[in-house]
Amino acid sequence: MINFTDWESTTKLLRYLAEGSVTTLKVFFLTLLFSLPLGLIVALGRMSKHWWLREPIKLYILIMRGTPLLLQLVFIYYGPYYILPKWLNFSYDRFVAAILAFSLNYAAYFAEIYRGGIESISLGQYEAAWVLGFTRVQTFFRIVLPQVIKRILPATSNEVITLVKDTALVHTIGVSELFRVAKNEAARTLAVTPIFVAGLFYLVMNWVVTKVFEMAEKKLDYYR
Amino acid sequence: MQMLKVEHLYKGFDGKPVLKNVSFELNKGEVLAVIGPSGSGKSTLLRCLNLLEKVDSGNVTVAGETMCYTDQSGKVVYAPGNTLRSIRLKLGMVFQSFNLFPHFSVLRNITEAPMRVAKMPREQAEKAAMELLEKMGMSDKADAYPYQLSGGQCQRVAIARALAMKPDILLFDEPTSALDPQLTIEVLKVIRLLAAEHMTMMVVTHEMNFARDVADRAIFMHDGEILEEGNAREVLTNPTHEKTKAFLRGFNEI
Ligand SMILES: Nc1ncnc2c1ncn2[C@@H]1O[C@H](COP(=O)(O)OP(=O)(O)O)[C@@H](O)[C@H]1O
Ligand SMILES: [Mg+2]
Repeated sequence: MINFTDWESTTKLLRYLAEGSVTTLKVFFLTLLFSLPLGLIVALGRMSKHWWLREPIKLYILIMRGTPLLLQLVFIYYGPYYILPKWLNFSYDRFVAAILAFSLNYAAYFAEIYRGGIESISLGQYEAAWVLGFTRVQTFFRIVLPQVIKRILPATSNEVITLVKDTALVHTIGVSELFRVAKNEAARTLAVTPIFVAGLFYLVMNWVVTKVFEMAEKKLDYYR
Repeated sequence: MQMLKVEHLYKGFDGKPVLKNVSFELNKGEVLAVIGPSGSGKSTLLRCLNLLEKVDSGNVTVAGETMCYTDQSGKVVYAPGNTLRSIRLKLGMVFQSFNLFPHFSVLRNITEAPMRVAKMPREQAEKAAMELLEKMGMSDKADAYPYQLSGGQCQRVAIARALAMKPDILLFDEPTSALDPQLTIEVLKVIRLLAAEHMTMMVVTHEMNFARDVADRAIFMHDGEILEEGNAREVLTNPTHEKTKAFLRGFNEI
């Protein structure tokens, strides 16, 4: 058992957990940073009228959504070593692999959310903009996208909440994020407290995510 | 002065002809009413003019600029992109379903294109927009959002939005078909006002009284063809073609 009166070991535990949390936050924010814009590009490609662009992207989305994220993570980290010629002796940072796998995976999910939103905007909005002389790019970014964002906020919120919890998966390729640290500390000290503290952290993080999305929805509530 | 000249326009969808040899002209300051049964190609004609659809063949000239022509081999040739852009700006369009931008206030619906497309400074764009709203009888709604407006108010904002780009010709596709009679009157009043100011307009409409009173000329379309064309009063009260007569009789019975 952890003895909370043992000041030294308590602060040490909290410091470890804090370090793990920072890594967790890094995985979270970097994944969003890359996957949100990438998802938009993927969505546009998915809706392309050119089959040679659309079909490979459909396959990509199928694979990303149809196989476990855990498997993708392991494949992206260890895969190159087995696929590339042995003499290259390829290896790369596990954290980079984690961000890569997460960004590719979440981009696929976000892409489908964007697509649903984009396809829900009526053709009349585009035509009204075109006849006023807006270019296609202006029409998309000034007329369509703002309305899409309002419509996809609830679905995006769901996905981001899932991402908070999914970050724990990166421990499988050895990234020292919060869950891995908590598990190790629990094993070392034979106490469940670290796991409990980690659980609290995820909960608080998701509370913040929920609040942020609530605020965003409220901010966009001025029109229908 | 000729604002619009359409010659031998053909357009089909998946091999099915929708516009067949459509030719007509529109002079500056004229109001042209386009009538005809549903499915006769009225919307498609407007959509070809403002480049939402491409024609299969024919010549279209807008305010002296060639939009498209058909060469000797029968292939339709469109003007280069920048010419098409300038032609598009000569044409304003008002849709049956308004298509206002829901995320912009009334004022911004009107100023957005002048500012982003015509690069007009904000103050100037807003001043012009307020003047247009005044004319539409809607000065008090500048800060409202489209969802807060009635259909008639939405359509008047849509007209103001089109006018803000100072088009040479204003195209209307059944501007009152989505409105109940009371709101229809509000919108028709505004179009009458524009007619009195000699705005060049082409109006697809089922409001026969309005067409007869306001339009200078009328076109009757049937199955993608112009069956009758002439003085609006003449076409609407004293048509020569059997199909026009039958169409108008159908209206009077309602
Ligand atoms: N995008 C389209 N694809 C296929 N057929 C179309 C399309 N738009 C219109 N049509 C057809 O063209 C004909 C004329 O339609 P339209 O121009 O809308 O007539 P109107 O406006 O006079 O009611 C109709 O038969 C309609 O079904
Ligand atoms: Mg129509």
